Amino acid sequence: MSSTPTHPTLSAAPPPPPASPARAAVLCGLAGWLPPILVTNEDLSRRLDTSDTWIRTRTGIGRRHFAEPGQATSDLAVEAGRRALRSAGVGEVDAVVVATTTPDRLCPATAPLVAGRLGLTGAAAFDISAVCTGFVYGLASAAGLITAGVAERVLLIGADTYSTIVDPRDRTNAIIFGDGAGAVVLRAGRADEQGAVGHFDLGSDGAGEELIMVAAGGSRQRSTPGPVSPQERYFSMCGKQVYRHAVTRMTASARATLTLADRKVDEIDHFVPHQANLRILRTVADELGLPPERLVTNVESVGNTGAASIPLALADAATRTTLQPGERVLITAFGGGLTWGSCLLTWPALSRTDHPYTIGGTQQS
Amino acid sequence: MTSTYDQLVEIVTKLHNPPADLIRPDVTFAQLDVDSLTLVEISLRIEGDLGIRIEDNELEEDLTLAATTQLIDAKLAQ
Repeated sequence: MSSTPTHPTLSAAPPPPPASPARAAVLCGLAGWLPPILVTNEDLSRRLDTSDTWIRTRTGIGRRHFAEPGQATSDLAVEAGRRALRSAGVGEVDAVVVATTTPDRLCPATAPLVAGRLGLTGAAAFDISAVCTGFVYGLASAAGLITAGVAERVLLIGADTYSTIVDPRDRTNAIIFGDGAGAVVLRAGRADEQGAVGHFDLGSDGAGEELIMVAAGGSRQRSTPGPVSPQERYFSMCGKQVYRHAVTRMTASARATLTLADRKVDEIDHFVPHQANLRILRTVADELGLPPERLVTNVESVGNTGAASIPLALADAATRTTLQPGERVLITAFGGGLTWGSCLLTWPALSRTDHPYTIGGTQQS
Repeated sequence: MTSTYDQLVEIVTKLHNPPADLIRPDVTFAQLDVDSLTLVEISLRIEGDLGIRIEDNELEEDLTLAATTQLIDAKLAQ
């Protein structure tokens, strides 16, 4: 997908005057929110056969946050969404998009509820289901609404509560995942502005459907006679195969986006991949030939937060002033589906971004 | 040993950096404390450097460096 329509009849909006840059979605607000329960590696070591050293060596993760009993994905999404709207200085948007793998219910979508609780009743609202690639797919969808002239402003929230689908006794997955929400506000602008969302690369491979899944709960299981085992209700992941696909797909997608944008790797100021596992991120950065200091990561303090991971990493980096206006940022994700995607954008001057970690019961040093 | 063995040792050393005195043809990945994810990284690097395809179940922790060299050589000969 390109931000520039290749054929005028495919564009819903009237073509811009030839002399002016193309209409584009521009990032103008950002926030993250983590739920209150802090779970350290030591906490996990008390109930699982694992240790802080074991977890850190294999994943780079030191702690993560869990939702409280009774807390749903929408509760996290509302907190992040409210802060993102404040960061953007806007009270209204035309559309609310929620990327999640853990919707409040199988039916309906979570986004209308989130919109209503944010005082945005009447706005278009829908969910994006692309697992850990959800934020990038959501960003492409939100940018599409804006460039097609359907919306002037969109609130995009990535929110997940993996603690509700991961078996707490599953040593391999319980150490990786955390809960959280991150949100951005996009407005209509021009492609040459700071904050403009640029080129995308999106892809999928359904042959890998079973590598990352919750087997039960959907129509396949519900239409199949027979009992459901408790394990089928939990999240499962084939670690080795996923690791291989994650490295190869993220590397290829990042390269494809750079090619579309006609940019070289050394023109990227910050690489912000989906925060899956520090080793995957370092391997991808190494494969791309990126200097280690350009890799943005916060996985140590939040774990893998699914669709929330990229906006949470952006919010963390923005509040640490790692990201400066005008810098080129490449985001890349990989997730269940299989799905993958990347987007190149320039960083905007944001008026205010709350640090996501100061809210949920812990302080980031 | 063959040059394939030397290339394997170079890859394992770069990605895992085990104690040099432990590296022998009859040592297993497990004895070098190589975990399953590092094995995937080693597989990807061998694929990239040598132009062969290694399935995820082919490199296991109990494989020796000599056996891995044989596996690679067999694929190179195909």
